[in-house]
Amino acid sequence: MEARGVAMTLTWALPLLLLLPTLGVVAIALGSDPRKTALGVSLLNFIPAFLVSGVVLREGEILFGPEVSTLREVFPIQFRLGCDGLSLPLVWLTLVVTLAAMGVARGEVKRSKEYFICLLLVGLGGLGAFLSVDLFYFFSFHEVALIPSFLLIGIWGQGDRTGAAWRMTIYLMLGSLLLLLGLLGLVFAVPEISRTLDWRVLTETLRAQPLGVKHQTILAALLLVGFGTLVSLVPFHSWAPGGYASAPAPAAMLHAGVLKKFGLYGLLRLALSMTPLGWKEISWVVGLMLAGNILYLGMASLAQRDFRWLLGFSSAMHMGTLFLGLIGGTVLGLGGALVLMVGHGLSAALGFAVAGEIGHRTGTTWMQDLGGLAKKAPKLWFYLMIAGMASIGLPGMANFAGEIMIFFGAWSTHPILVGIAAWGVVLSSVAMLRAIRSISSGPVSSAMTAQQTSDLQGAREVWPYALLTILLFAIGFIPNLVLGPARPVLERLIQP
Amino acid sequence: MSPWICPEVLLVLAGVALILMDALLSPGKRSLLPGIALVTSCVLLAGTIWQSGQPMPSSWGNLFVTDGLSSVFKPFFVLCLVGVTLISVRTPMGREEAVRSEFLALPFFSTAGLCLLASAHDFLAIFVALELVAISLYLLVAFQRTQVRSLEAGMKLLVMGGLSTGFLVMGIAWLYAAAGTTEFTRILLEQAGRPASLALLLAVGLIVTGLAFKIAAVPFHAWAPDVYEGAPTSITAFLAVASKAAGFVLLVRIFGFGAFALDSVALVFRPVLLTLGIATVTLGTLAALPQRNLKRLLAYSGIAHAGIMLLALGTLGEAGMGTVVGYLWAYLLASLPVFIAIQEVERIYGNADVRHLDGLAQKDPGTALGLTLCFLSMAGLPPLLGFSAKLSVLSTLWNAGEIPGLVVGVIMAVVGLGFYLVPIRAMYWEREADSVPICRFPRFLVWILLVAGLLQLLLGLQPRPLIRLVERSLAPSVSAIIQDK
Repeated sequence: MEARGVAMTLTWALPLLLLLPTLGVVAIALGSDPRKTALGVSLLNFIPAFLVSGVVLREGEILFGPEVSTLREVFPIQFRLGCDGLSLPLVWLTLVVTLAAMGVARGEVKRSKEYFICLLLVGLGGLGAFLSVDLFYFFSFHEVALIPSFLLIGIWGQGDRTGAAWRMTIYLMLGSLLLLLGLLGLVFAVPEISRTLDWRVLTETLRAQPLGVKHQTILAALLLVGFGTLVSLVPFHSWAPGGYASAPAPAAMLHAGVLKKFGLYGLLRLALSMTPLGWKEISWVVGLMLAGNILYLGMASLAQRDFRWLLGFSSAMHMGTLFLGLIGGTVLGLGGALVLMVGHGLSAALGFAVAGEIGHRTGTTWMQDLGGLAKKAPKLWFYLMIAGMASIGLPGMANFAGEIMIFFGAWSTHPILVGIAAWGVVLSSVAMLRAIRSISSGPVSSAMTAQQTSDLQGAREVWPYALLTILLFAIGFIPNLVLGPARPVLERLIQP
Repeated sequence: MSPWICPEVLLVLAGVALILMDALLSPGKRSLLPGIALVTSCVLLAGTIWQSGQPMPSSWGNLFVTDGLSSVFKPFFVLCLVGVTLISVRTPMGREEAVRSEFLALPFFSTAGLCLLASAHDFLAIFVALELVAISLYLLVAFQRTQVRSLEAGMKLLVMGGLSTGFLVMGIAWLYAAAGTTEFTRILLEQAGRPASLALLLAVGLIVTGLAFKIAAVPFHAWAPDVYEGAPTSITAFLAVASKAAGFVLLVRIFGFGAFALDSVALVFRPVLLTLGIATVTLGTLAALPQRNLKRLLAYSGIAHAGIMLLALGTLGEAGMGTVVGYLWAYLLASLPVFIAIQEVERIYGNADVRHLDGLAQKDPGTALGLTLCFLSMAGLPPLLGFSAKLSVLSTLWNAGEIPGLVVGVIMAVVGLGFYLVPIRAMYWEREADSVPICRFPRFLVWILLVAGLLQLLLGLQPRPLIRLVERSLAPSVSAIIQDK
């Protein structure tokens, strides 16, 4: 009784998680030091996150907001938040990557006020989406990140920033609206009397009275294309590599690390549990698409000469492996997907952080110009290696744990795709190792000598990289950190 | 309460008073007129809002009625008037146009006409009210008579407006021939349960054509961009918001409640309206993409919005009508502030080219934020108000099973982002602050824009007040009650 009462009080930690970044945005707008404020709220946000985690580990889930009303209203949206074992790892991923991104972001950047506001908003969008129980807010929070990303790439980006910003924004808007149609379809599939926007209730209703196969297939297809665009599933991927290559490092970290996971989370949460039959029907299409991700984008990543572009392609490519986890249909595969989501989030964030730092310190990310980095900047080189190895899937890192679980989970149902995915590991190894070889070994390039390249200095600059690295290893060795709380939820997800 | 104390009468009296004051006041005190006009419009707004909450007798025979729809839209039009007066006050006038009072007074007459339209329950009343609106507008559009653009716009509006009135009158005549009456309820009683005669369908077609000019629906839209660009900004705002809304209120009334709420008419006109909607939203959106003049941009964006609303209207159900009502309010709240900002840009630079917004975010972050939120709301991005409006259109189409309309609506919403981002891009990432001449909006306008922008956010997160409005507008109208008997 006592404990329950405490848990009831602690539900306030959920809106607090969203309130703190919002307050940070307001504070920066009103004139407080942008970088310090952004770092401060990102760090402070760990306190409510710990409270939330405590309740979730104890009770299984935590909810905030008014009771679900099934009263037929014109617009039955309700601000309800919730967190369970499945969203918890992603919430933590968001918090960690946000903190690291703020740590990597430079305070002396031009127009730093707007810069940090945009970054905070992108993080807030991801966090809100993972915490929302109401589909309206689930969708809206993700969209909150859209315009700040547009501005981040457009104002502070590099290379073809204008083109990249437009392509990414229009593409993501298209994906979002298709997704919106899918969500509308789910909501309207329920008889009017029990219609609601709460996905928890909606899931229960649709599991108690499943839709017809054809109906499910249409909805699953809409959700797949909608979420798939957000996850850069081939052939809806072309916004991703260029967008990430052009974005400033913290924006790329947040986007590749956190926001992309929104699409996968949505598929896990909504498509798999509400339209399981439809999802099975279209799983061969998903198979084709993910094979495209692995083989086509894998090949494309071989051809890259710019480290940022390489990261962009390889990040998009790994989405293929993730989708394999989603269509495997086993708890093992889904768990692997979740672990890989977290692992990929951390490693992509680390990769883009390092690439951004290299670009800043040497003035280039062309790999042929980066020879001898290991001699000039050994710490940067070390974290570059970590990011590269994690992305290849070296045992001991979170990505390996996720991939191996996905492969085992999908083996019985999709052996051919597992074979293709294994090829993907080879392709990504070749691309990444070639990159690392040309960057780290060889003579010190003229660009490096000319630029007086310096290494990361002291703990103040190293900690974001160290944080991400430690977590990559921690989850790699103890995947149960992620899987433990998530397993019951995942089991419920695929229960027939 | 006496039916004489209604917004229409008060508006006309206020307009007359303004003109008289101009004639009677000493020249030194004439400079007070803009302030007086602004205060009067605000007082009228308060009065109209208060009055729309009161139970009102249905009066004036059956020519005009007071029902949910009219009580929701009279404050709408008077709010437009407040915005328009605010912009008019900020409009610089040359020596030739020094007769300022008329520029301020004519919108009052026009608004009176719009309020009459919201209550009109007979096609004759509609005709009279529409002419009251239109004739004031012809004058206003051409008001800057030393500028060729303004004269050209006035001429175009006159010709096109005359043409549309012609269609409307022709339609009314055919209607009288087909039904023997022009009163909504009697048409409804007369025609219910019967197959529609050819004459009736022709009448509906002609009337819809006449109204399609007013809302600038494709293919009757061509006048809009030129007129919007040439007219003084306050009048552009009036045309884009109030006049367009009036067309939709009429469409909602005749197709939703009175006159043509007939199955036989719906059978023919549902596909017609939906097709019009698809064409309008497609053309409006695509043609807006290359625009770099803010007024033209908003003209085409207005055409696109009209298309979206036509799609919702075209489903001809109660949900569709409610959606249009809500959408109009969202459109009003997002576009009026933008017009206020355009006026300031014009005041400083002489035209409304989008590049004048370059670097605004650094000079004037508050204005830029407010404007950004308004533009994004028009683009339909969550969690802003425009998203809720667009979402209700999409869900109406989904529920009605109108897949082509739904698909086009979604695609155009994506494409639309392409031009709504143009001003945002100009404000935030074009040129750096030091290369831009200093321009500052007056403080109170910054606050208005900021509040308007935040309103988009608040109402987007909690659209309940708007939902109340929609529900009230759909409250059983007089004709529906008579029909039940």
